[in-house]
Amino acid sequence: MMGCEACSAPCKEATGQGSRTTSTPKRPTADAVVALIGQPNSGKSTLFNGLTGARQHVGNWPGKTVEFKSGIYRFGKKSFEIVDLPGSYALAPNSAEEEVTCTYATSGAADVALIFADASQLERSLYMLASFAGTDCPTVLIVNMMDVAQRQGKTVDCSLLEQRLGIPVVPMVASDRSRYDTVGEAIEKALNQHLIVRNPPAVDREAEETQPEAVQQNATVRFRWIEHLLEGAVTESSSAPRLSKFDRIAIGSKLSKPFTILMILVGFLLAFVPAMPVMAIGGAVSSLGQEVAILLTGTGAPDAVGSFLSGVVFNSLCFGIMMVGYVLGINLVFGIYEEVGYMARISYVFDNTMARFGLQGKSVMPFLMCLGCTMGGVSGSRVVDSWGQRMLTVAMAWAIPCASTWGVVPVLAVAFFGWGAPLVVVAIFAVTLLLMWIAGKVFGPRLVPADARKGLVMEMPPYHKPRLGGIVRTACLKSWQMFKRAIKVVAVFAFVIWLLTYSPTGGVEGSLLYAIGKAIEPITLFFGLTWQTFTAWLCALVIKESALGVLSGLFAGTGTANAAVIGAATGTAVVAGNIGELMAQAISAPAALAFIFAFTFNVPCSASVSATYAEVHSMKWTVAIIAFYIVASLLLGCVVYHVALLFF
Amino acid sequence: MTLSDTQPDHDYIVVSVKGDRRFLSRIASVGLTPGCKITVLQNLKRRPVLVYTRNTQLALDRDDCAAIQVEVA
Repeated sequence: MMGCEACSAPCKEATGQGSRTTSTPKRPTADAVVALIGQPNSGKSTLFNGLTGARQHVGNWPGKTVEFKSGIYRFGKKSFEIVDLPGSYALAPNSAEEEVTCTYATSGAADVALIFADASQLERSLYMLASFAGTDCPTVLIVNMMDVAQRQGKTVDCSLLEQRLGIPVVPMVASDRSRYDTVGEAIEKALNQHLIVRNPPAVDREAEETQPEAVQQNATVRFRWIEHLLEGAVTESSSAPRLSKFDRIAIGSKLSKPFTILMILVGFLLAFVPAMPVMAIGGAVSSLGQEVAILLTGTGAPDAVGSFLSGVVFNSLCFGIMMVGYVLGINLVFGIYEEVGYMARISYVFDNTMARFGLQGKSVMPFLMCLGCTMGGVSGSRVVDSWGQRMLTVAMAWAIPCASTWGVVPVLAVAFFGWGAPLVVVAIFAVTLLLMWIAGKVFGPRLVPADARKGLVMEMPPYHKPRLGGIVRTACLKSWQMFKRAIKVVAVFAFVIWLLTYSPTGGVEGSLLYAIGKAIEPITLFFGLTWQTFTAWLCALVIKESALGVLSGLFAGTGTANAAVIGAATGTAVVAGNIGELMAQAISAPAALAFIFAFTFNVPCSASVSATYAEVHSMKWTVAIIAFYIVASLLLGCVVYHVALLFF
Repeated sequence: MTLSDTQPDHDYIVVSVKGDRRFLSRIASVGLTPGCKITVLQNLKRRPVLVYTRNTQLALDRDDCAAIQVEVA
């Protein structure tokens, strides 16, 4: 049977009621399919996470670069399959996301539709209900953000709306779990009594699909319908709309960009507070593995067993746990940014810069975070709410050298080029921008097609107080899901490299990688890599920090590549103090430069790969960008080597 | 005048929106229909225009704003 990751279909068929159009895992437990429909940032995802908890399936819609999310919500004896449709302002196919939402919502695949509106801006946000009204699908209106409306001095008479609409209207604060039962009750009521919107707006839907004039006419009719519906049901505070003091700095001044960058960096640093203890546990696991290996060798067990245990089993666990630390911290901090409404401001400030690549302004966040850690940046990419743009962000972000790169590059650059080292660093940044641009050109057209690139139209949510409970719960849940997925990928990488670098004799010559590296050296030399630097380049695929240890082992005989990879996470790998000088005696400057570039722009590390897979849940695209970066890295090595040969 | 030429902290009325069906639909779905009142909150070079309409704060692309005709309220 297909795994949940591969599941990518709208699952009416899971209930056994619809026609089977795609193969999906059966979910015989669901009594009904419930679609969540609402605009981006409406609190839809918060409610979805709250209702379904860990019982979620995430994938892509068949043949689309749009994310599919569904989960099971248990209410009493009933269980509902909740399909969280992509955020959309209306039922009109104006983007890949909206197309999915529109098609699904009007296909009759759902048994009940939960439509979101925002209590603090009811007039505009009821447009989704107005465009959905008229279909034969039982409907529930969720009036979310009641707390925000209250703070703004607005009141909403939900029972009056319920009378007028003829469907259940549920006042909601998406993060408040005590209100969830009212959702379940409303779903049952709408389903059992087949409650659909009474007196929908009188619009000509067919004309809307072809005539521009009809679009505006229908919109006007719908808004008039909304105004009529709200008459006497809402009271407003009558203060003139103005930018808040905070927003005047955050989005309204020349300093907005530096301010936003500062906020992102502060968030990144704050993320380490919860991350550190978890990462320390990860480090301890790796150390424990090495102790176990020593103990085992002491009892006379074969060396391979201990090495395998510490190099693959314990090390994968260590990477996995460290990754969870990162993901947890990032989810917590940026979950808060999202919840208070700040994320939309980041998008606004960087819209102009990022739109050139077909990205959202928010994409600047993962980019900046990748300067620290690619894995962190990839986890941060989840704030980008369109799947295609998120995937493109990740594909470009891999080009950004992480902090670990800078633990290696300067050592070599100084040893080989002395005062020329800063030039190497400048060149690396230039190539970073170039490679991001190329990745954008290569992957952009497929992930974010030109006709999908449109100017920004976005609601700026009012700031509001976050509820920590829900954010913590979601962050823990996401981290755990991440761990389960990521550990497999990390283990595969760790195993392959372990197998290649393990040497029964303890010497370098005993390893498979030595044999392979030596045999194909004539080829790797074309790319500027000697068998030693090729080995280091390959080991860096598992963990970037290992490169110096590996080089040290190969050039100074301080240990095997195997030991270097095992010890890299805990910093116990031996690095010869004069590794730079030793290498300078052994290989040429062009070869060193080729290695520096090939190493920097290689696939970041196994943890980033697994984070990417866990975040974008597409094996196809993950493999595609791995291939892109391996090719790019080798080609860069090749070009740099042959150009450098002309000068040195 | 178009929405991209407006002054902050002034009120305007949308006169017309020009563009293809998809553009009209996108703009309409966030509440900008002919006749509706908007307050411009911020209009800075190289940043989307910030407006307030139907009790919502909206960010709109500058180029798109050039296709939205408004008059002073």
